[in-house]
This record gives sequence, structure tokens and C-alpha cells, in this order.
Amino acid sequence: MNSLFDCWKEKIPKYSENFKDSLFASITQYGGGAERTKSDLGKHFSNAYELYMYAFFLGLYRNELSPIPKGQKKVDFSHHIQYWGNKGNRLDRTDFSNLQDFMFMALVAKTDMDILKADTGELSEEDLVNSLIQTMESYTNGGLVLIKEKLEDNPNYFLQATAFLDFMLESTNQPSK
Amino acid sequence: MNIQTVEIENYLCYYSTNRFEFSKGLNIILGENGEGKTKFFEALQWLFIGNDHRLDLLVSSKRLSEAALGDSFSVSVSLSVEQYEQIKFLKRSFTVTKDGDQSCLIKNEIFEGIEESKKGEREKVDAETLLQQVFPAEIRKYSMFKGESELNIFDNDQALVNLINLFAEAKHYSKYSQKGEMLLTAAEKAVANNTKSRSKDKKDYEVLQADIKELNRKKDNLSTLLAENHSQLEKVDKGLKEAEKYVDNAEKLDILNSRIANLELSISDHQKQIKERYTTYLFDDNWVLVQYESIFKEYEEKISQLSKERRKLQTEYDKQQGKKEAEREAAYKLFSGQFPLPFNVPDKEIMKELIEAEHCKVCDRPAPKGSEPHDFMKKRLEEYLKLQDPKESEDPEQSTLFEKDYITELINKMNLHNDKLGEVRSIRKKVEDLFDFNKKRKLEVGDLEDKLEKEKEERNRLVGSSVLAEEKLSSIHKNYNGWQDDKTRLSKSIMEYEMEIGQLNSQIKEKQSKKDDIDLESANSFVIKTREIIRDIEIILRETVENKFNEFIEMLQEKSNKYLIDINVDSFTGNIKFDASEIDGKKRIKVSLCEEDRPIHSPNESLRTSMYIAILFAISNLAEQSREEGYPLIFDAPTSSFAEPKAGEFFNIISGTNGQIILLTKDFIGKESQSRKLFIKPEFDNVNRAKAFWLKLERPFDRNQLRTINTNVINV
Repeated sequence: MNSLFDCWKEKIPKYSENFKDSLFASITQYGGGAERTKSDLGKHFSNAYELYMYAFFLGLYRNELSPIPKGQKKVDFSHHIQYWGNKGNRLDRTDFSNLQDFMFMALVAKTDMDILKADTGELSEEDLVNSLIQTMESYTNGGLVLIKEKLEDNPNYFLQATAFLDFMLESTNQPSK
Repeated sequence: MNIQTVEIENYLCYYSTNRFEFSKGLNIILGENGEGKTKFFEALQWLFIGNDHRLDLLVSSKRLSEAALGDSFSVSVSLSVEQYEQIKFLKRSFTVTKDGDQSCLIKNEIFEGIEESKKGEREKVDAETLLQQVFPAEIRKYSMFKGESELNIFDNDQALVNLINLFAEAKHYSKYSQKGEMLLTAAEKAVANNTKSRSKDKKDYEVLQADIKELNRKKDNLSTLLAENHSQLEKVDKGLKEAEKYVDNAEKLDILNSRIANLELSISDHQKQIKERYTTYLFDDNWVLVQYESIFKEYEEKISQLSKERRKLQTEYDKQQGKKEAEREAAYKLFSGQFPLPFNVPDKEIMKELIEAEHCKVCDRPAPKGSEPHDFMKKRLEEYLKLQDPKESEDPEQSTLFEKDYITELINKMNLHNDKLGEVRSIRKKVEDLFDFNKKRKLEVGDLEDKLEKEKEERNRLVGSSVLAEEKLSSIHKNYNGWQDDKTRLSKSIMEYEMEIGQLNSQIKEKQSKKDDIDLESANSFVIKTREIIRDIEIILRETVENKFNEFIEMLQEKSNKYLIDINVDSFTGNIKFDASEIDGKKRIKVSLCEEDRPIHSPNESLRTSMYIAILFAISNLAEQSREEGYPLIFDAPTSSFAEPKAGEFFNIISGTNGQIILLTKDFIGKESQSRKLFIKPEFDNVNRAKAFWLKLERPFDRNQLRTINTNVINV
């Protein structure tokens, strides 16, 4: 029997193309490009999936479950969830692939799905995983919207080293909607 | 090879013919400043290399002034050496014809070589070839030194390369290592092409390839920048040293500089402790889970609810099936109408333990044998074991209600991370602690920077107040502080570049291993195996060169230290350390004097000179070993920083080493206070030597009238 977690982590979740240039290209090191170093550009995230995870948790804590609107094109960065946080032997980083588990548990907690039906075989595994991914994309979309709003509010906000941490800590003080 | 004679004729201050007959061992040429020592050295250089300068500038003024208009005479430097029991001659000369009061015509510049056979027959040979035979240019580089400053042969980039090419075995291997690199590139390309033609994810693979290429390009750029920084730093260091020579209170400057260096080190230590990659800690330290507690609780509730429902359904299903109803009913009753826990809770081992202990550790009550709780536990265990037995594992219909068991998976996930909650709760505290820690370090850095500023001001005053004799010096001092700043800046960026390159390396490694995985899945196994073999070969070749290089450096270090002990005039107990590094593909060597493995901040000049000379002896010894013949070492004023008694001791020590040494020095020449007459001090009698000469200008003379200058060579 396949494990639900294993099936889920083989997926690549998507995000709205609207954020591709405005966020992914500008605050992650995604795609390499110019030789300017990440600090010059305020590129806090060394990978696209880091921003994705950040946005997910942010959306989750602020309860911003907002699916990608129908008309918007969905894109991804062709990196399966199972590799997220897998730092191997990079000297300057610590492996954080354990966060995959926490994302998964959050999705199970937040997704309205009948797991018992899946246990009895009435609901396919594929359907289950799709609902999980749907929830994941929705929270992430919510988080990305929040980041973009913050950025539009104050374009320099994320230039501070503490910005993303502050924003994450702040969110804990907000009452759930 | 030994130099037997040197003859200098009408060359600058050497009027007429002057002959030096040298022996094996230590030959000392004494001479006051300006009396012909350096000209002797330069005469030899001219003999060996010639020069494109105007030859008329080499003519003895005294000889020229004596000549009548139209008279011709010869200017020459010649040398005879003994090599493999054969005598060989080299002579460079030209003819001078006087055509005016102080002017002349130069003709017939020739370089002659003559070999004398054992029987005494002389034969003309090509002089350049002969020179290369008797005293090869690459050996001369490590044999002839003018002044103390030239003794540091590792000062220039090429020195090490030359040395390796001369003596180290590494050179034989380096061409293979280049071949290995080429082969590897070809093999990698073959595998990549093969993978691409067969892989499903051609696009992903290409992206990966492009990434690796890009990362390598970035790394190359950084390496170039790093090398540039290194060479700039070297220049700045040289400039600083130059400037510091002219500071009056050198000792105080030394102390100040070491205080400043310590402060800078301490600041950079503090700065290193400051951890401000907050966004990174969100991931690496899981801080992103800061508000996860409520989510986890939600998950927990949902899963227990589901688990309960599942058991309820199972129990009802069992009931309906009517199978094993009695047992299950009993079990059901046991739980007074509640749904029983899953059979694996508590698990088999725990149950056994409880039964054996006759105590229920779940509700902390005794359960003696024969009592109701004891029976209950035993029954439960039996049932559990039965469930595990495949033969008895119920009837097929029993398992059809739930064909999958996602719930158990989800429960396991929950149990796996139960302990994490405590950690999650402490994240806020950790963040605060780190902020606090960083704040404190920053305050400390601020204090240290204030101190540093003060020390620098003091240094400014010291450097500025030194008496400046020349304009050039004042411009050096003007630059001094700028250089100090450059030095700090350059050192910092070198550190940063090195760190970045390290990071890039690990990224490249990561991507490379991903690419390897795809290759392994997709490419033809023959191609892969071939590449693996070539990779190994390349490593072997590269490491062999590396090892040979290191062996060589180690040997050089060992030999140098042996000589250092020999010529250790100060009973210095430290040692010479060779640090090899590679910058932008170029190997470099830094030589330093260490005491207990720690570099000495600023060894005095004579100690430094002993070190360089020890290294030169070591190299000369290497030459002797690898070429089965020794070469003379010729030093012009190598000991000018030595106090005289020390110089004497030093000469005595080097006189004991093998091989021929020709050493020019101004030591041991005294001047009578009244008559201003020069004399050789009696202490010179105590200096062991094979031969000694005294270069002395013929008195009286007028320094402004070159035609009055004539150096006499006196055998001592």
C-alpha cells in the first residue's frame, strides 16, 4: 500500500503566474541570472520553494485560504516536494526536509476530505492527494497575496534582514478570520 | 662546479687586470661601502647575461683617461671553473678605442667559451652552451643574491614554479594530469549526450546542466576576483612594509600594529558570531513553525476523531458479520460500552511487561495474578498475538471493510512529531535570545571599533611625526593610512570570496550528484562505467601531482629547518613553515618563521635573513642531489642587518657547510679615527674561511672624479 504522504510529496504544487516575476524572480535566487549576490538584491530565499513554503505557512497562520483565481495561469518550478529542504552536504545550511511532514499534517488538518472513505476504497488516493494539493496552493496563494500587499505598501520593507521573520511572528498575533 | 678564478679587466672601478682565485668552501670578499663589492657582483652578472646597456658605460674611467687618442684596449670579465675534473673558461669582452677626451668607440663585443681536456688541450666551444652546462640560468636564480632583500625568493609568483620545474618530481606528472582533465571533460560530455538522448526529462536535465555551468562560471569569476584581491593585498603589504622602514620609533609602531591587528581580529570574531540570516533560520531551525501548535492540535483532534470512527465502524462491521462475536462482545463489555483501543495500544512488549509485573502501569494499579485486571491484560495480549498470526488472521471478509489504512499512517505521523511541540513553543524565546545575543555582540563591536579608531589615530601621529628626508617618503606616508584601510578591506573581501566559493562548491556538488542520479537512470551503463573509470584516473593523476608537490615542499621545509638549526645564531628555537596555497589555479608558497606553530609577528631582520639563507642552502642541497653536482652560492652583502659579532658567528657556521660560497661583506673593515685609514679588524682572524680578499680603492681618490677610482684586490 502506498503511503499518502509519499504520494503527496511526489507532487509539484503550483502558484499563480502573477507572482512569478513580482515575487519569485525578485526575492529568491531562482534561476540564477546576474552575478550580483543575494544580499545586494535583498534575495532572502535561496530557492523558489523556500518562498513557497514561507507563503504557505503565512497563509496558514493567517487563515488566508484563497484558491488561485480561475482565470490565472498556474505555473511551478519543477521541484518535487520531496526534495524541498534537502540540503545534502551544503556547508552553510541545515537540512529542513522535516518541514515536509509539518506541511502535510497541516494540510490533513485543514482539508475537508473523507479519509474513512479513502480507507474503505470509496475515494481514490489520487482524489485525496489532489485535495491536499488544492489546499496547499490556496494557502500559499493567500500568503503570496499578503507578501505582495506588504511589498506594495512599502517596497523597502523586505530589505531589512529581519523582515520575513518579523512578518511571520506578526502573523501569530493576528486573530484568525 | 666550482669557480676557480674570476678576472676583471678595465671594468668600471677595476682598472687593469684584477684576479680572484677562489677555493672550495667559504670565500669572503671584504670591502667598505663604495669600494667595489657590488661591482664585482655586477661584473659576474654581466659575464653571464651581457646587457643591452651602453657598453661605454662599463669602461674604467681611469683606463680611458690614461689612453691616448686612437689607443685601443680591452674590457673583459672572465671566469674559469672546474666541472667534472675539467677546466672550462668563459669570457665576455669588447674593445674600446678612445676617440675623444672622455669618449670612445666600442667594437667586437664577444662571448667566448673554451674547454680544456684532462690532457690540457684547449678547444673553443659555443659560449652560451657552455655557460648553460656549467652554471644553468635556472640554477643561477637560486645561487646569486644581491643584498638582503633579494634573499626572499618566494617573493615572486614564478619562483615556486621554477623551483618545482627544476627539482620536483611533480613536473613529470603534471602533463598527465592535464591529459586526465581533458579525458574527463570528454567523458562527461559523452555521458551527458547519451543521457539526453534517452532521458524522459530532457528539459530538466538541460536545466541542471545549465545550472552547473552557470555556477561554475560564477565560481570562476569569484576565483579571478579572489586572485586579484590576493595580489593587491600583497602589493599593499609591500607598500606598508616599505613605509614602516622609515618610521622613527619602529618598535612602538610594531606594538601598535600588533594591537591593531588583534583588535581587528577580535572585531571580526565578534562579527562572525553575529547571526543575522533570519530568513534562513525560518527554515534551517524550523522557526517557520512558530505558530504551528494550534495546527498540530487541530490535526491531533481530527485524527483521533477519525481513528475513533474507524474503530466504531470496524466494531459494528464485526458485529454485523457475527464473526467472533463472543470475543468482541466480551471485549466490548470490558470497556463498559466504550470502543476499545486499537490492539496495538499498548504494544505487545509493554503488555508482556505489565503482565509480568502484575501491575497495570497505565492506571498505576496492582493486578495480581488471578485478579480481574490481570486476566484482562492476558486476554488482550492473547488476542493481539492471534491477530498477528497470519493463519488465524480472521476470515477474508473481516478485512474487506477497510482495504487501506491511511488513518494509522496519520496516527504514526502524529506520534512521530509529538515531541516537537515543546520545541515549537520555545521558538519565540529562541528568536528573542538571538536578537539579544546579536545586540550585545554589536555593542561590543562598537566598543572595539572605538578602541581601534584610537589606536589608529595614535599610529597616524607616530607615522606622521617621523622625520622625512625625502619627498618620496612623504608620499609613502600619505598613502600609509589608505593602505591600512585597503588591507582591512581586502582581507575582508578575501574572506567573503572564499566563503562564497565554498558555498558555490557545495551547490555544484549537490547539482552534480543530482545529474549523476539522472545519468545513472538514463545513460547507457557502458558509457557510465567508462566515465567512472576516467573519473578515478583523473583523481589519481591529480592527487599524484598534488602529493608529489606536497612531498617536495615537505622535503624543502625539512631541509631548510635543518640548516636553520645549523646557522641558528640567536639560539632561536622556532622553525620555518611553508604554507602552500592555490589561488586561481596557481600554487603559491608563503614562508614564515614560527614558534610552536604560531607565526612570529615580526621576526627581526637578521633572523629573517637566517631563514632565507637556510632555505637557499636547502635548495642548493636539492640541486646537488638532483643534478649530482653542487653549485656555488654568491651573496652580496647578505648580512647587512647583522651585528658584526653575529656576522662572524654566522660566517663560521656557513663555512662548515659543503659547497662553494662567495660572500661579499663590509663587516670587519675598520677605520682609524684620526688618519681615516681603513684596516681589517683583528676579529676577522677568528673567522673560518677558505680564502679572503680585500677590495680597497687606491688612495687618494676623488669620488667626483671617476678617473681617480681604482679598486685593488688584496689577498688577505
